Amino acid sequence: MSASYSLPSELTIYAANAVRTTFQEWVRQLPKGRRAKARPDKPLVVDAANVMEIDAAGLQLLIALARSVAVKKHRLELSQPSQTLRNACTTFGLVAVLLQGAEDVP
Amino acid sequence: MSESDYDSSFIAEALPAFVSEAREHLQSLEQLLLELESRPGDRDLLDALFRSAHTIKGSAGIFGIDDVVAFTHHVEALLEQLRSGRKELTPDLSTLLLKCSDQIHLLIDAAQTQQPDTANARAIREEFVRQLRAAYEVEGMTAEPHADASRDVAAESIAGADAHWHIDVRFGPDLLRNGMDPLSILTYLATLGQLSDVACNSTDIPDLDTIDPESCYLACRFGLTTDASRERIEGAFSFVRDECVVRIEAVSPPAGLGNAPPAAESVTAAGTAASNDREVAEKNREGQIKAPAADDSRYIRVQAERLDHVINVVGELVIASAGAALLARESKHRRLIESTQLIDDLVDEIRGGALQLRMVPIGDTFARFRRTVRDTAAKLGKEINLEVSGGDTELDKSVVEHIVDPLMHLVRNALDHGIETPAQRVAAGKLPAGTLSLGACHDSGSIVIRIVDDGRGIDREKVLQRARERGLVSSDSSLTDAQTVNLIFEPGFSTAEYVTDLSGRGVGMDVVRQNIESLRGTVVVSSTPGKGSCIEIRLPLTLAIIDGFLVSIGSAKFILPLVNVIEVVETERLPDLSYESGRMVTQVRGQLLPVVDLRTLYELDSLPAERMSLVVLQAGALRFGVMVDTLLGQHQTVIKPLARIFSGLRGISGSTILGNGDVALIFDVAALSERATKTSSKRSSLSREIS
Repeated sequence: MSASYSLPSELTIYAANAVRTTFQEWVRQLPKGRRAKARPDKPLVVDAANVMEIDAAGLQLLIALARSVAVKKHRLELSQPSQTLRNACTTFGLVAVLLQGAEDVP
Repeated sequence: MSESDYDSSFIAEALPAFVSEAREHLQSLEQLLLELESRPGDRDLLDALFRSAHTIKGSAGIFGIDDVVAFTHHVEALLEQLRSGRKELTPDLSTLLLKCSDQIHLLIDAAQTQQPDTANARAIREEFVRQLRAAYEVEGMTAEPHADASRDVAAESIAGADAHWHIDVRFGPDLLRNGMDPLSILTYLATLGQLSDVACNSTDIPDLDTIDPESCYLACRFGLTTDASRERIEGAFSFVRDECVVRIEAVSPPAGLGNAPPAAESVTAAGTAASNDREVAEKNREGQIKAPAADDSRYIRVQAERLDHVINVVGELVIASAGAALLARESKHRRLIESTQLIDDLVDEIRGGALQLRMVPIGDTFARFRRTVRDTAAKLGKEINLEVSGGDTELDKSVVEHIVDPLMHLVRNALDHGIETPAQRVAAGKLPAGTLSLGACHDSGSIVIRIVDDGRGIDREKVLQRARERGLVSSDSSLTDAQTVNLIFEPGFSTAEYVTDLSGRGVGMDVVRQNIESLRGTVVVSSTPGKGSCIEIRLPLTLAIIDGFLVSIGSAKFILPLVNVIEVVETERLPDLSYESGRMVTQVRGQLLPVVDLRTLYELDSLPAERMSLVVLQAGALRFGVMVDTLLGQHQTVIKPLARIFSGLRGISGSTILGNGDVALIFDVAALSERATKTSSKRSSLSREIS
């Protein structure tokens, strides 16, 4: 039962505050453990194909999102990450943290 | 607008900002060079020096000011050699660089005023370029290891061989706000070679509710295999150096690289011999020490006119608020009174804050003198130690601008006439190097600046003789020592046998005093023959708004600056006023106090009140009292300058408008104190002095 979430195309410092608010809203919408017997590994699937621009501020927010999701006993899954996002994660050593389990796009 | 129109209008608008910033960079360049003279190997200073030149060149490039770019390029090349340790900063090079910075200054002035280049100027620059090139092209890159073992020169000097580096960086919290992006830094480094084992501190990033999206929490460690030099790697961090902690180490190549070429072996040797740690000072909110030329991103540039406008409006606000408070009191409406009282308190705070905005530390001004002292001393063949103290002392910006020239003249004077040549000093039993000290401090509402030298002092006989020659004193008048020595401030006075281009023209000291007095300040000199002289300048801290003490004499109202008010005594408690050698005196707690009777002084025609008060004032070291009728309390006083017609009036420094629209005159306490201590048989009133 996941609504469809997708990352905005711009994940940079300029949009950082707005993006944070959006992410917080997503986290708020996550069902809490007591109601839906959430399994620790239940993924929150977020479509990451639209990311066109990203910088360190954007990466930070993704990490923070992953953290907040984990606190609610869910797991963040970025699906179909764009090449831009892949490159950024590779450069910054965040593949294991953010892209684990993401489908490999040929 | 066509594209080229747009460009040229952009340039025209932005050029003043470029000019002013370039001048700041030049100033810091000069400061750094002077500091480096006592710490020639200091790596951080050399880096900052290079960055200043680099920034000037870059900005000039944007504006298409090719002359600056071309000339600064050579300066930058030499500075690059200095900061990488390939060349040492000798005194000769330091002098050359100082002169080149003067040339850049001239070029920027020319760019600002759009002056065309002259053949003469071009020739001078070419000569400097020749000297610069001779300095930086001679040795170039060498493979010799430096005596300083903590540098892995071997790694740098081998071109084209892959070396492995370990980089550890913690990015500063304001990095993102300042427009930098750690991701692009790493992306750039990846283009230099191969990144490996990148590890980022993701566990340190707070969650969404705690995180500040615009702060940077990132740190990372990674390996970099590249044939680029250390400089190029460091170059990736050049814009963020002051905000990050960066460590770049050369390490032995990871096992698995197979046949390491011979070059790599020497890298290993150098690497293990001195694993090179370069930590850049981290700039954080606790305010640790940082490289001197680093721009502090906590400051904002503000146009001076805008600040002045704000302060003017604040001044009007003070008056308006006082008016409102007065009406409120008259209305006896309690809540209205409270409300206007609150407004009054807030206005007081804004006033304080606004005036603080204009305060700048005098240390910046003193710093400018280092260069002057250095060059002047060299020119005169004298050895001078310059000591500066109290650089943190703050004063109003406009006061600073007006005080620079007088101070410069006084400093030059001390160097020219005060301090002797090394030979003369040794003959007099002194150390060959003279000491000139510039000091500043606050003292009861004023800023005191002292220029002290340990030179030959002022020759009283010579001064008296010259004064008599010039008709400044009559041949039979007797002056105290202090009065004699201060004759040097009289117009037309100069005992120099010859006119140097520095001083001695006789137009100096009296203009200095006039300038200082026009700032409502005073200047006094004292001196001991053979030991030295001390010039003491006193200036008021603020020119615009002061805390005043409102008093009335008859129907006239006056303001006494609160900083000068020590206490108030009811006259009933005082012994009778008496006259002693022409002065009115009284006693307060056993101490004799000269008194000024303002009523007589200003010929105010009203009868003395039954109960008068004595306000005890202090001006500098002098204490004296004034008799007033009524005390009306503290009053925020916006100083309105007196009209020119009253400029001869001594004792009054300005006027102000009270809440009810009346005008109150503001006393010049220093002038009143002179009146109080004057011994004269005729007590002339001040009002006669106007005619």
